[in-house]
Amino acid sequence: MTRLLLSLLFASGAWAQMKVVTLPSRSALVNIRVVWGVGAAADPADKPGLANLTAALLADGGTRELTYKQVLDALFPMAASVSNQVDKEMTTFSGQTHVDNLTAYYKLFRAMLLDPGWRPDDFQRVKDNTINFLRVSLRGNNDEELGKEVLYNLLYEGTPYGHHNAGTISSLEKLTLEDCRRFYQTHYGRANLILGLAGGYPPPFLEQMRKDFSGLPEGSATGTLPPPPSIKHTRAVIVEKDTRSVAYSIGYPIDVRRGDPDYPALLVAQSYFGQHRESGGLLFQRMRELRGLNYGDYAYIEYFPRGMFQFEPSPNLARQQQIFQMWIRPVEPPTAKFALRLALYELDKLVSEGLSQEAFERTRDFLAKYVNLLTKTKSAELGYAIDSLYYGIPDYNRYVKSALARLTREQVNRAIRKHLRADRLQIVAVSRNAEALRSALESDAPSPMTYNSPKPPEILEEDRIVEKWSLGLRPEDIRIIPVEKIFE
Amino acid sequence: MASNFAWLLALAGLSAAAATSPRVFPFAYTQEDLPNGLRLVTIPTDYPNIVALCIVVQTGSRNEIEPGKTGFAHLFEHVMFKGTEQYPPEKYEAVLKRAGAASNAFTSDDLTAYHTTFSKEDLETILAMEADRFQHLKYSPAEFKTETLAVLGEYNKNSANPLNKLFEVLRETAFDRHTYRHTTMGFLKDIQDMPNQYAYSLQFFDRYYRPEYTTVIVAGDIETHSVRALVDRYWGNWKRGNYRAAIPAELPQQGPRTNQVEWPTRTLPWLAVSYRGPAYSDTAKDMVALDALSYLAFSENSDLYQKLVIQEQKVDVLEGDNEDHVDPYLFTVLARVKKPQDVAYVEQQVLETVKQFRERAVSGERLEAVKKHLRYSFSLRLDNSETVALTVASYVALRRTPATIDRVYDLYAQLTPDDVRNAARRYLAEQNRTIVTLATRQAGGAK
Repeated sequence: MTRLLLSLLFASGAWAQMKVVTLPSRSALVNIRVVWGVGAAADPADKPGLANLTAALLADGGTRELTYKQVLDALFPMAASVSNQVDKEMTTFSGQTHVDNLTAYYKLFRAMLLDPGWRPDDFQRVKDNTINFLRVSLRGNNDEELGKEVLYNLLYEGTPYGHHNAGTISSLEKLTLEDCRRFYQTHYGRANLILGLAGGYPPPFLEQMRKDFSGLPEGSATGTLPPPPSIKHTRAVIVEKDTRSVAYSIGYPIDVRRGDPDYPALLVAQSYFGQHRESGGLLFQRMRELRGLNYGDYAYIEYFPRGMFQFEPSPNLARQQQIFQMWIRPVEPPTAKFALRLALYELDKLVSEGLSQEAFERTRDFLAKYVNLLTKTKSAELGYAIDSLYYGIPDYNRYVKSALARLTREQVNRAIRKHLRADRLQIVAVSRNAEALRSALESDAPSPMTYNSPKPPEILEEDRIVEKWSLGLRPEDIRIIPVEKIFE
Repeated sequence: MASNFAWLLALAGLSAAAATSPRVFPFAYTQEDLPNGLRLVTIPTDYPNIVALCIVVQTGSRNEIEPGKTGFAHLFEHVMFKGTEQYPPEKYEAVLKRAGAASNAFTSDDLTAYHTTFSKEDLETILAMEADRFQHLKYSPAEFKTETLAVLGEYNKNSANPLNKLFEVLRETAFDRHTYRHTTMGFLKDIQDMPNQYAYSLQFFDRYYRPEYTTVIVAGDIETHSVRALVDRYWGNWKRGNYRAAIPAELPQQGPRTNQVEWPTRTLPWLAVSYRGPAYSDTAKDMVALDALSYLAFSENSDLYQKLVIQEQKVDVLEGDNEDHVDPYLFTVLARVKKPQDVAYVEQQVLETVKQFRERAVSGERLEAVKKHLRYSFSLRLDNSETVALTVASYVALRRTPATIDRVYDLYAQLTPDDVRNAARRYLAEQNRTIVTLATRQAGGAK
């Protein structure tokens, strides 16, 4: 077991409020994670995307001394890089190096974060990359992630969470290098900084890092955010796009996050209902395994971007506000309405019936072990330790395991009834022929399912209920948005 | 003081290891063959509590030799989760759940791999259950048909990404006979016909899910002898088969080929410049020389990257790739171009770079930087038992032993600038070349 050394340096002087998380080990590898408690929620209202662009410019640009090309050349023989991730309230820079190269690597890492180059050509390149990420990679090439991000934007419309972390294309086109420099000077401070270090680093190295980052101005952390707007009726947005199949994301805000008394109970509910990329979840079983509707179906109580590329969530996406979300992977257009009905029918059953004692015990026991896998790499373990500091909880594995040991089925089912519901949902569909899908969704007509093989009578019987299941959608609550308008 | 002392010990251990062993694969592993032909590779690691099991079947889309059956190795990966008499799917799931296991599978051209990561106390349970499904898989035509729809769903979710289409067309254009002509997903028409192929699926299982095709890799917090005893107990009675697939050999390419893909929605244009390359080898230098060339000529620290991505900013993705394959595959340069009007220019720049590498040897210093990069990137990857098992799996697909890892990295260490130039001259020639571009369909084009 690794030791978690958490040094909260509240001493007076230059390091006031800067926090340090260390996980020393005998590994030949060293992981560095530097997290500032600032992100897209701090973007000025007229400059969405500024936090992300600033971080990207540091991670993918030169330093005052070295051009970007020189930085890449120096990193190349070490097979190292500096990654960045910007979420609503966290900006993370991370990297891994062999201990052989620690001094040389850290010299670059330090200069990139503390002494950036602010070159116009780097700025232009990074800005183009960000616009192309939104326009091409996300909007053009990934219907599932697109649906998920549109869902978040809709749920938080009008609040600091209400835009994609990368911003909007029209805003990015107007942002200047000076905007980035000013954002950096205002928000990259000591007061909102967590330094994370793991692996086989020599002890003096930590002191060096502390000293280097203590030269930053004080800065400030994100304040308390306004609550998201409530949803009065189930509503749907169809993102119209020329694509083969129909991808859904469905959800609503919840006021539960790590550290909340109901978090462990909802974690059990989420795992039972739709454990990410595992075949044991209820949605996966009912939709894919029994009916062959698609490739997979999952549920979440925390933000989990890039789920199609990874099995475990990235750390350092800690947020004050989270949503409950269902991810229905692309379905063939003729079954699109039935699939949506089935997803909502299963959600309704979850809310009204909860978990059986057997299901509760099975899921609890699964999570008590599975949680170890979330921190199987040092980098992830360090990230989780930093998130635990944000949420004010002990080491995540211990937090989850000890809570599970005390948890009862009644607590889980009570938390489900309190925080989850099967109505007042935001639905997002990415689909071609949006008008046809709209007509289908607003109609109460049955959407019977046909199969290419015989099904057990209980499935056919259930289908007769599902095919008429009310989506609760009023025609005025269905909107079509052409994909070209998203993130503009 | 205590922790400082521990730190010094740890460092001493590292340097001693470095001084006595130049091996890039740092773990002491054991490789054993059971009488039935099954191979077991056990890799104790220092990462506590967790065990990663990866079962590699040396069968992938390369083995799909019959017309109309593309995508079958991948479909079979799905079917393997349909259960046995002893462990029907619900029970299989329940056991995985009790173990808190993360379980999945993947298929490529040359392998199908099933991997499960779990706590060490569940090793016997998981090994026994996996042995059962490899020997006693049983599924009905109805279950089979339903699973083919999940595969169609997978094709659907992949289809939003133009790169999948680009590689589909690239393979079809570059190969005439070899099964690398199709992707692992297979052709859409074959996927749509899968529900009718139940009988063939039984034959597929009978041919390839046999001990002589299979290697069990166990990495993590384990003891080798007790793993062997468990594998003997649960896998020892598995019957050897005798099927050998006749993979059609590709004939030499006689001249350059091109193709274009029209993409229905807005995207940036993609350019793929490919050459027929060599097969994986841990004895001949050509493959590793082309690997090195892919970094020297097209990686982030190449001159071309500096020119096209950083200075001129005409391209936002540039990479060279010389994937390991059992049979000769493709060396590919991939670029995403920011403006459609620059595609021809970027293509010309890629071809010009290839020409330079054929004509002139690179500096020894640059080659040394690539060698360092390759060794460090390999060791940075091995930071947990699961990636150790999965990394070994990718080599088992090629040579059925982790020993090939050190052999191939020894070859990298021996590479000279002349080796790189010679490989460029041999393989990166015009008659071996296929260029495919992908761009947004122009308005008014065929729907």
